[in-house]
Amino acid sequence: MKKIKNQEKEQENSIILSITNLHKRYNESKSNEVHALRGIDLTVRKGDMMAIMGPSGCGKTTLLNMIGHLDRRSSGDIIIGNVNTLTLSDNQMTSFRRDNIGFIFQLFNLFPFLTAVENVETPLLLKGMNSGLAREQAKMLLRELGMGDRLYHQPSELSGGQQQRVAVGRALINQPAIILGDEPTGDLDSTTSSDVMALFRRINRTNKQTLVLVTHNRWIAEQCDYIVHMRDGKISHSEQGPFNKKEKKQ
Amino acid sequence: MGIKSSFLIAWRSISRRKTKNLSVILAVALGVTLLVGIQITTDTLENAFLTSLLQTEGEVDVRISNSTSGEYLGAADQEIIEDMVPDAVGIMPELSSQIPGLVESQFDPNMEIAGIQLNYSNVFGTFYDWKTGNKINLDTMLINNNTILMSSDQAEKLGLDSSISLPFNITTEFTNLTTVIIPPPLVPLSNWTINPEYTDSPHVLSSNPLGLHVELQPVNFTSIVTAYTISAPNLKLSDYAYVNVTVSGSNNALITLGFFLDDGSSFLVANLTSPSIVNEIPFDLTPYSDRILRGDVYVSVMSSNGTQTSVDITEIAFETPTIGGSSREPTISFIPELERVELTIVGFFDSNRPGIGSQYSGVILKLEDLQSWISLQDPFQNTDIISAYLVAYKTDHFTQEISEEFLKIKVEEIEESIPEETDKITGETYKIYTVTSPRLTFFNIAGFFITLLSTILTSLGLLITLTGLLLITNIQLMSVEDREFQTGVLRAVGENRGGIFQSIMIENLFQGIFGGIIGLFGGLAFGQAVAIYLVSLFGTGQQSVQPIISQEVVILSVVAGIILSILTGILPALRASRVNIVDALRGIKIKFESKSSRNLFALGILIIVLGILFLLNNGIINESTQVFWSSKGWDTLAEWRNLMLGFGMLAAGIGLVLSRYINRVKAFNITAIVLWITPSFLFIVAMGNWITDIGSLSIEILLIGIGQIIIGSVLFLSLNLPIVMRGLRKFLIKIRGMKGVAEISPALISSHITRSTLTFAIFAIILTLNVLVATLIPTSLGTITQLESDSQGVDFAVFLNKPEAVINGTSFSAELYELDSRINDVIGFKTFNPSQDYTKFTALEDPSSSDFDVTRDLLPIGLTEFKSIQIRGNASDYSDDNWRYPYYLNSYPDGVREEYSSDLTDEELLVLSKKAWDQFFDLEYKMSAYNVSSGILEVISGESDISDLQIGSGEEGPFATNGDPLEGVDPIKDAEGNTIDNPIVFTDSFLLPVGMQVWIPMNTSSFGVPNYQAFTIGGSLDNQRAGGFPLGSGINFGGGESDFSAALGSLYLNEYWANQTNFLGFANGESPKSRALTQYDSYLIKSSLSIDDPQLEQIAQLIEEFTNTNDEGYRLLADDNFYVASTALTYARVEQTLQLTERLTSFLQIYVTFGLAIGAVGMGVISVRNVAERKREIGMMRAIGFPKSEVILSVLLELVVLGIIGLAIGVVNGLIISKGFANMQNMALLIPWDQIGIYLSFIVLIAIGAGSIPAYVASRIPPAEALRYVG
Repeated sequence: MKKIKNQEKEQENSIILSITNLHKRYNESKSNEVHALRGIDLTVRKGDMMAIMGPSGCGKTTLLNMIGHLDRRSSGDIIIGNVNTLTLSDNQMTSFRRDNIGFIFQLFNLFPFLTAVENVETPLLLKGMNSGLAREQAKMLLRELGMGDRLYHQPSELSGGQQQRVAVGRALINQPAIILGDEPTGDLDSTTSSDVMALFRRINRTNKQTLVLVTHNRWIAEQCDYIVHMRDGKISHSEQGPFNKKEKKQ
Repeated sequence: MGIKSSFLIAWRSISRRKTKNLSVILAVALGVTLLVGIQITTDTLENAFLTSLLQTEGEVDVRISNSTSGEYLGAADQEIIEDMVPDAVGIMPELSSQIPGLVESQFDPNMEIAGIQLNYSNVFGTFYDWKTGNKINLDTMLINNNTILMSSDQAEKLGLDSSISLPFNITTEFTNLTTVIIPPPLVPLSNWTINPEYTDSPHVLSSNPLGLHVELQPVNFTSIVTAYTISAPNLKLSDYAYVNVTVSGSNNALITLGFFLDDGSSFLVANLTSPSIVNEIPFDLTPYSDRILRGDVYVSVMSSNGTQTSVDITEIAFETPTIGGSSREPTISFIPELERVELTIVGFFDSNRPGIGSQYSGVILKLEDLQSWISLQDPFQNTDIISAYLVAYKTDHFTQEISEEFLKIKVEEIEESIPEETDKITGETYKIYTVTSPRLTFFNIAGFFITLLSTILTSLGLLITLTGLLLITNIQLMSVEDREFQTGVLRAVGENRGGIFQSIMIENLFQGIFGGIIGLFGGLAFGQAVAIYLVSLFGTGQQSVQPIISQEVVILSVVAGIILSILTGILPALRASRVNIVDALRGIKIKFESKSSRNLFALGILIIVLGILFLLNNGIINESTQVFWSSKGWDTLAEWRNLMLGFGMLAAGIGLVLSRYINRVKAFNITAIVLWITPSFLFIVAMGNWITDIGSLSIEILLIGIGQIIIGSVLFLSLNLPIVMRGLRKFLIKIRGMKGVAEISPALISSHITRSTLTFAIFAIILTLNVLVATLIPTSLGTITQLESDSQGVDFAVFLNKPEAVINGTSFSAELYELDSRINDVIGFKTFNPSQDYTKFTALEDPSSSDFDVTRDLLPIGLTEFKSIQIRGNASDYSDDNWRYPYYLNSYPDGVREEYSSDLTDEELLVLSKKAWDQFFDLEYKMSAYNVSSGILEVISGESDISDLQIGSGEEGPFATNGDPLEGVDPIKDAEGNTIDNPIVFTDSFLLPVGMQVWIPMNTSSFGVPNYQAFTIGGSLDNQRAGGFPLGSGINFGGGESDFSAALGSLYLNEYWANQTNFLGFANGESPKSRALTQYDSYLIKSSLSIDDPQLEQIAQLIEEFTNTNDEGYRLLADDNFYVASTALTYARVEQTLQLTERLTSFLQIYVTFGLAIGAVGMGVISVRNVAERKREIGMMRAIGFPKSEVILSVLLELVVLGIIGLAIGVVNGLIISKGFANMQNMALLIPWDQIGIYLSFIVLIAIGAGSIPAYVASRIPPAEALRYVG
């Protein structure tokens, strides 16, 4: 699977993610069926940083999982770059995800038995990169992320913010087109949260990588270009982030 | 929170977390299954032994027979015996003997016959029909002296089945003794004629059978009359002592009586002697003992005074010598004639059914009828003969076993009350009856074997149960580990440590109960399977072996379940209760402290002290052994036991102590290495080279060794698992498509060291045992090349049921050469089995001494002749290469024995054996008798207990084969202080140690008493090589057909001495048993085929057909349809010798196979659990781009890697232990690589099979769902 980025280089501000009429039902045709997503339509342009907000249970995480193809949709189309992901097989989707989508979770979800650098290099190894090269790249990235002195520590030996930096590193190492964050700062205190958000902003600005973050924190959401509000499995409305407005105004 | 909340939490945990609980329950169930199974097996085994006893002894508890071997009892004894056993519920006379039986071409040379009363007491049970199972009424069936009932056992032996139509005829032989009275040979007195040449005067001659009257009318003083006869007998004068002439006549008669000899010379019995003197003094024939009479006799009469004279001879008799001088009594001789009799089988009884029928495995006749048949062989045809009175103390032995103690007391009581009589010659008193209780003897033997077997089974079972324990601990540990978070939460919401501990223990209790109950059923199934297997091993009938499920077992199973689960649960529960709340909530795994606490330090010191004590035991505490630092020591197993225990403890203690100061891994690495190296060194190096006197297995040493090797190796790998895993990662990460797996799996394995260790330890233990068991059989069997050289080319043996016929122009051997051109060499031997003839029994005490006890010191040992030509061929001595059949010896006569040492090669041993053979055939050679006795004989005669026999230590005892058995033993000296030197015999009997003195009956003297010749046992034929000497017989326990006499083995006499007997040799040629020079009965056959060639079977069959077909082949040549040949292939014999090993091994095989099954199930459970608890990680893997295939691979890899580590440890350890095992038995280690290959593939298959389904399922879970999973 080719990288979307390369195709997209010519078209600045082109649409990188387009979702039409996306539905997700859990426990389909059972008595306890839950209709989590009820027809989502969403487009995200390359280089955008978008926040999805909404109360608990409105379907934020479900939407994010759909975008990341961590779960099967019930109906609807998701087009990432020019690829309609419905046409991909499971294996194709796996490598597509590996190459184009990075994940950052609220609980960091690092492999507890691997060191920081091992956690970060894993996606490169999965691509078949030489292990020495992968190790060097991972170290470089972690140093960039300010984790140079914690390379060989296991997650349990790291603080929450440090863990999240490692998780960010793991998401970034493949230089994916889209980075998905599910409450990436949910487990962090406010100072650390703002550090992490600044990190996201920097990545978004310098690498032109698209970020989609799920959060229920207004302050976090306001760091983004766009804020999409969800309620009961639908997008209720969307707004531009305050910085975006400011930038535009200026 | 109290016990109630603990219950609640435990209950919810059980009812909601089904898979996890099921896995614990399953593990507990497996453990209990093992325990219960082992218990049932041991119980059943005991029962199988007892049942096979019941099969042979029926309802008979005690038998009372005449204390003089070979003598019978009579009807009059019944009353005396009834008084001796007042509380018996039944007494029955029985007459038993052996006859040959021929049905068509099937033949049993030793069929047992028993005569029983038809109105026997009903406590002895009933005979049941073989086909219908109905009771048989003997009264209506055994109607005359030709009707018999045959046992189903016997029928099967003769190839008959229950569908045969009755009545059916069987031919047999009874010995009919004809008494022949031979009067002393006489010179006939009729038909005498006058010899005119020596007659010159008028005379009267009257010659008739009643007398010879010669009258002379002399014409002068020299007148003579001579009469002669030519019809006198042509007697061999050596047989007669005197000529006695009964004569009367006138006083003036002078008689001359002359006999001519075969060479024409003559001797004079009377030379001009007066009748009264001739009449009085018998003529001594001694000077003419080597001459034969020509047949002509003359008598001359002269007159001393020239007047008429007359002589009346009424008898000229040749007399034989007797105690008093000479005897005029006629010689009485008994000529045994074989009488062929047709017996009619009127029914078959089932010898596998409870009741009296199970006692008899041959045929039965009515008592009186058998008495009359057997009486034919008695000179006085006495029919009042009974071989034993059978006594029953209770009924229904089959449903309720009689108490051993009770029986012991009864036998003692009877023993006390046996009447005594005084020997008329020696004046000593002796008990007139012997009381035996085969049932009691069997209790002892069975007890011995059961103890032996159950020791092995239990120790093996314990090892396998250990794997079960490891499995349960493993799963319990998992339970706690993946509940750490919840435990943290529970603690956070206010549960205290005790509460956590309680709730987990309650959970364990539930799991234990369920697991125990399921395990009980598993154990029952296991026991049932073993019981069925036992039936096939012991072959004692279908209903005989039932799995024995005692009440204790049922209780045991549940209790064991609870104990197992609680025991294995304590550690994890403690661990859980000590969870640091914050760490647990943060998901930080609990780690052991990396350094020892003060308590462990103290424990370490204690263990070091203990270890040093064990080491000091050598040489210092026990002064007979060598100190451990001496290079001269370390050469006995006892020392090595101390060394193993000592070094093991020392190392363990040092590990504990050091771990307080240095890294735990480093500290315990030392322990692990020492634990592993010590027994390995013992098994491989020490046993092969230093320890020379291992006779056989020492279970104790094996167990300690196995334990240490397993613990050491598992510990070592466990400690160094991270290093191994790093290596694995380095290797895998180079492989494309495996890089992700390489990153994850090794890290995962080393992150759960305890769990991983437990997993591979299970396999390590099971495979160690598997490999050990797998090498047992081939190692014991030996290689074909070894077998070929050990057997000295003898491919099979042929046995005739009686000595071959003397046929003009041919012999049995000659016929065999003709049968098949591939037969290269036929070596004939003369063997003899004294069977019931006690005059041919070998004496173990000088029969002329006052210590000699007929009931104790005579053994029915077989006798066989060895001719130099049979063994040496044309070779003159050991330096010559062309020996015909140089059989290996394993103990040697004086003069050769001194050259023996344990490190001799086979060639050197063969030279030693040949030297011994040279001495055997050297008639000048004599060997001193030594002061040795046979331990086993003392056990058999009841002088010592079977438990006194040393089987394990190998230093002495019946199974010891190495070293000089006579070292430190003094030769016996006679009253004058001279050593007693005897000619030597060889033996293959395990009873008779080298150096022992035995007395073998030679030609029977005219008094009917054997002449005993003393011999020294000069050597034993090797009883292991190629399955032992092919003419000897092995011991076979548990087969139901053990023949005591055959198990005793044989003595081998050289040609010269064999010919001094009338049962092996030419002797005087007049005894019915004497044999012509080449009248053989056993033949060893060498062929051009390899020893394991299946075509040998065909040749053997050809020989059997040639001999065993009526009116054809050999039976036609010999004109005798009673010839039967049986054959025994050397290869089959070797296999047969291994039967005991094989039986044992197949038991072990069941156990280890079951262990393997546990390993498989355990791996399945572990993999299910692994996958279940790693759902979240699997979700992450999928999220960051692991394809499904790599997810599956990473799960599988973990199991396969652990399986292979277990396999590697198991194979290496198994081989080391097998080497030790082989060394203990003095055999070459043979490794069944194919079987190990099977284990390898089996383990990999198990790992893949156990892991693939959960791994596949896991890979199918959408990552989003997996990520939500919180365990």
